[in-house]
Amino acid sequence: MIRVLAIFFLIAGSTNLVEVDEKVIARQGKVSFFSYTSVEDIKAENNQVLSVIDLDQKKIAVSMLMNAFIFEKALMREHFNESYLESDIYPKAVFEGEIIDFDRTITGEQTRIIKGVFAMHGKSKELEIKSKIEKKDNKYIVSGVFETLVKDYDINIPPLLAGNIAKSISVEFRFEYEPYED
Amino acid sequence: MNLDLNMSPMKIRITVTIIMALVLVNKSFSQDLLDILEFETSQETQFIPATFNMTRIAIGHSTEVRSKGILEVFVANRFWNLPLERSQSFIADRMSSRLALEYAISDNLTFGAGSTTFDGLFDAHLKYRIPTKSGSSNVLPFRVTLFQNFSYNSSPIANQGIADDFSDRTAFTSQILLSKKVSKDFSLQIAPTYVNKKLGLQDNDSTNFFAFGVGGRYKIGSHLSIVSEYYHTFNPVESFNTYNPFAIGANWELGDIMLQFMLTNAVNMVEDTFITQTRNNFNFRNPNLNFGFNATYVFHFKNKLKEK
Repeated sequence: MIRVLAIFFLIAGSTNLVEVDEKVIARQGKVSFFSYTSVEDIKAENNQVLSVIDLDQKKIAVSMLMNAFIFEKALMREHFNESYLESDIYPKAVFEGEIIDFDRTITGEQTRIIKGVFAMHGKSKELEIKSKIEKKDNKYIVSGVFETLVKDYDINIPPLLAGNIAKSISVEFRFEYEPYED
Repeated sequence: MNLDLNMSPMKIRITVTIIMALVLVNKSFSQDLLDILEFETSQETQFIPATFNMTRIAIGHSTEVRSKGILEVFVANRFWNLPLERSQSFIADRMSSRLALEYAISDNLTFGAGSTTFDGLFDAHLKYRIPTKSGSSNVLPFRVTLFQNFSYNSSPIANQGIADDFSDRTAFTSQILLSKKVSKDFSLQIAPTYVNKKLGLQDNDSTNFFAFGVGGRYKIGSHLSIVSEYYHTFNPVESFNTYNPFAIGANWELGDIMLQFMLTNAVNMVEDTFITQTRNNFNFRNPNLNFGFNATYVFHFKNKLKEK
């Protein structure tokens, strides 16, 4: 009897192995942010952002290295990493969330809310981001824009430079996903 | 079918273990999304974290160089008092300023030129950082920068006994700057130095000098750090007394403007002179104590986002 059970579990187990949730990955996702003030405009771009979507569970995760952000001014990158984001202590920013009412069968465009937690500089913040999801063949493209406040992430800005950095930062993203194999 | 139903407890245990193991293996396959991202993350970002934020620690150069297309306007000042009982000078009895322009020709090579008011020195330098790639295996455990300086002394020399042709008025400084970011806040630098400087008071004065510099930075805030620097000359000039230059100060960076405040015994601001010819030791009496103030303004002539 036990042997039968064992065989049953073996079969059940192995079929389960095949039925892993289908995932898609973006390896060169683009995230850029802008800070507009009357004193100075700051723009930075990261073209090496990673993201995975679990199509069955409608879950999405994003991870980016802070020191991969490129700025218009080279010295800003140094200051961003050393004095503001402290990227040697907090090297990554991570988002984990759910695409609400995501329907993977729709080809073409759908606009959905992505709800999740964004963690950066040791602080976590719940975000709801309106995103455009496009499906072409096997590829998915997720893009959108949202605003976030600097003060939510415990970033220390010296009073003398407060006028140079906007209180609200505009973030733009675009990820192109392709099928992911374990 | 002939199933053996009388399995020993041992056999049962093995079977159960195998089942458990299979279930566990199965679990690990439905891995967390963040684990996938962790696995996929590459460390190759080509970003070199700063060891010192500024191209100078206090009086001497640091291993830091600027990225291509950056022009730095560098103004250095030293203020000191004469050893008089009373003085009616505004702020300080004497002051010296050095104005310099430094341009980053490439991400690793900088050219700079400047002139000083008090000692009439015109100087030019080349600074080259030996490239290290961040995140790859061939990273050196420390930062290495080569520094070569040339200076011309334009001040009138009253003493007829001193040869002062063009070649006598020139000086050369070569340095190998080695620095290490010991911790997030603390960076250390050593600087073996060779100076060739003429214009000695006597013929038997050496023209070749060997010195060794030590400098450090300690960050006390995200934009503020405490710095100190010291140079020791192994074979000082014999015809007059010289002392080793020492500086202690604070560096404050404010975006495009960087400020340095220091107390030092070095009046001169060009390497060959302050390393080999600092005539006062460091103490709090006049005229030994100099208050130093350096301001650097950074211009970016290259938009990094338009590189690709």
